[in-house]
Amino acid sequence: MKDILYLAWRYLVFNRWKTGILIAALTVIIFLPLALELVLDRSSERLRARAADTPLLFGAPGSALELSLGALYFSGESPAPLEYAAVAELGDTGLATAIPLHLGYRVGLQPLVGTSPDYFRFRNLAVAAGRPLALSGETVLGAAAAQALDAAPGDGVVTAPESVFDVTGTYPVRLRVVGVLAPTGTPDDEAVFVDVRTAWIIGGIGHGHENLEDPTASGSVLKRDDSNIVANAALVQYREITPENLAEFHFHGAIDGFPLSAVIAVPADGKSGVLLEGRYQAPDSPVRVVRPAEVMEELLATVFTVRQYVLAAVALVGAATLATIALVFLLSIRLRRAEIRTMTRIGAAPGRVAAILGTEILLVLAASVLLAGLLTAAAATWGDEMFRWLLLSET
Amino acid sequence: MSLRMLICGCASVLLGLTGCQRADEEAGTAPAPPISDAKLTVYAVNYPLAWMARRIGGESVRVLLPIPEGVDPAHWQPSPETVLEYQRADLVLLNGAGYAGWIEFASLPPGRLVDTARGLEDRFVAAGDVTHSHGPAGEHDHADVASHTWVDPDLAAHQARAIAGAFGRLRPELGDDFRQGLALLETDLARLGERLAAAFRGWPDAGVLYSHPVYQYLDARYGLEGWSMTWEPGEDPGPAEWEALAARIADKPAVVMLWEGEPLPETADRLRRMGIEPVVFRTGAAAPAAGDFLQLMEENLARLVEVDVARAGGDH
Repeated sequence: MKDILYLAWRYLVFNRWKTGILIAALTVIIFLPLALELVLDRSSERLRARAADTPLLFGAPGSALELSLGALYFSGESPAPLEYAAVAELGDTGLATAIPLHLGYRVGLQPLVGTSPDYFRFRNLAVAAGRPLALSGETVLGAAAAQALDAAPGDGVVTAPESVFDVTGTYPVRLRVVGVLAPTGTPDDEAVFVDVRTAWIIGGIGHGHENLEDPTASGSVLKRDDSNIVANAALVQYREITPENLAEFHFHGAIDGFPLSAVIAVPADGKSGVLLEGRYQAPDSPVRVVRPAEVMEELLATVFTVRQYVLAAVALVGAATLATIALVFLLSIRLRRAEIRTMTRIGAAPGRVAAILGTEILLVLAASVLLAGLLTAAAATWGDEMFRWLLLSET
Repeated sequence: MSLRMLICGCASVLLGLTGCQRADEEAGTAPAPPISDAKLTVYAVNYPLAWMARRIGGESVRVLLPIPEGVDPAHWQPSPETVLEYQRADLVLLNGAGYAGWIEFASLPPGRLVDTARGLEDRFVAAGDVTHSHGPAGEHDHADVASHTWVDPDLAAHQARAIAGAFGRLRPELGDDFRQGLALLETDLARLGERLAAAFRGWPDAGVLYSHPVYQYLDARYGLEGWSMTWEPGEDPGPAEWEALAARIADKPAVVMLWEGEPLPETADRLRRMGIEPVVFRTGAAAPAAGDFLQLMEENLARLVEVDVARAGGDH
């Protein structure tokens, strides 16, 4: 047996290019359907779990998919804004806990999420280092975001301007990192969390500068009378919120009108959820309510339809490849007629020769299965992230 | 490459990859959940709210006011650790009307905040109308409204009802107890309101001054038509302020000045020489050293009734 294995192995090593091509072709036709199934199953499981964990989402009227992708995965375009008053309105119903979400800004490439302490409890996010958010100007980083930004508690990170070409856009604001979350394997790992008020300050709705009512205020004051103080545009505004300058920050206008991207509603029970949905079903309602689980099912149904076409195509290509490989082996036997004759003349029984040829085929198959297994394992480890990236990344 | 090496290498890579699952989540400290036991844990931003919460909730609530002694709750700035304590509360009682500016910049769960002055917006009194403008945002103000709402017992009763409502929503099974506590509190506040009205009778005609702009709701409630300086009890106001006062009383005479605390003896003497009687009326924003809010108001009332506004003006 050992000699058969040895002769077959030596033949394959001697014809390494031919063997390599055969293994590669077989690997691909084994790997593709396996990986597609595995990655889709695991990814859809995770996508579904995230959506199922989020009972109801409130947003401005518009695309339910955009709202769900933004609020659940912090990806895609930021949903159309709704007013912060929706949070109080939801709270007043007594039917659900309302968790505000403000999306759209970034720190480096990481999404910045403005929210409230309830979010961390709702998503079971544990602080691995440092402490939770307490004051404006602070940030808590998801595990992957901390790695990507190379930041730890005590460091600072700077928000990215919305557009380098927009001179009237938001200024970069330096945020103090006070905590890093434990990894969860969810989009929360990628996020930079701040309090929703910090997000408003980043957006320019709130700002901080020296107290202009102080008679000793800087030379930026152009005019001062009993009821109005006019400062020039050169008035220096604080770009970092610190405990020392916190008192100088202020918002303009009523907080109820400030923008949010979405509100996660966590109903007290199933009945409360249904009642809430009913209240906001009117076509002229300024707030739209969606069940993310249903939205994600619709999205995944489309993906699974595409999967059927892809699998059918792979099956066709696989059949053609197998036929070609069979042809290669048959032609190879014809080409090796002299070699086979030599083996017979030096005493190899016909069964022995067939065993050698069969072992060659088995070795090629085994190597292909092994390689396909390796690739599938790799896909199992990283594939769902790739899938999520392909499905959810901004393009 | 030998056959054995090939098989071993492939097997180890396969095993390594399949074993390379995501590392288990590290043990960490989860953001603290609300303290949930039989008692409601309630944090307040000033003493009157804490007092009202205790009166309404009785033994069913644990009311906390973690403001250090001697610090004015209106200008207190909590440490991050204290804000995290507030985050753990079942309810956080806010005074509303812009009181306690730190609330604006603290990360607190909106669902557990109770703005006790909500619904009183049409009764808010403007505290300053200074606007400022700079840059493209143009003119804007900081919505300064007077914040010491509870000095008007009627507004305090509204705030008490907001507290009782929030307690009832969280612990419906204790609703009757809360309603009973509220009813007693409303009775006390109504009585206080009547006695204050009696004590202030005749004051608008005599002329009233305030050492600090914290009495706007008292002024509005009892039609005192007074006006306010910005004097601290423990400090000499300085020549400019005395001159400003002289100019104001020349324009509009006043015979009584309400103070948050005991003024310096020399300040009190000088005021008396100007025909103005200083009277201490503590707002009770911070917890009193002894007694409770009602006792504090009783002491205020006792001082008010001692003042004979007709005579106080006559000496001048």
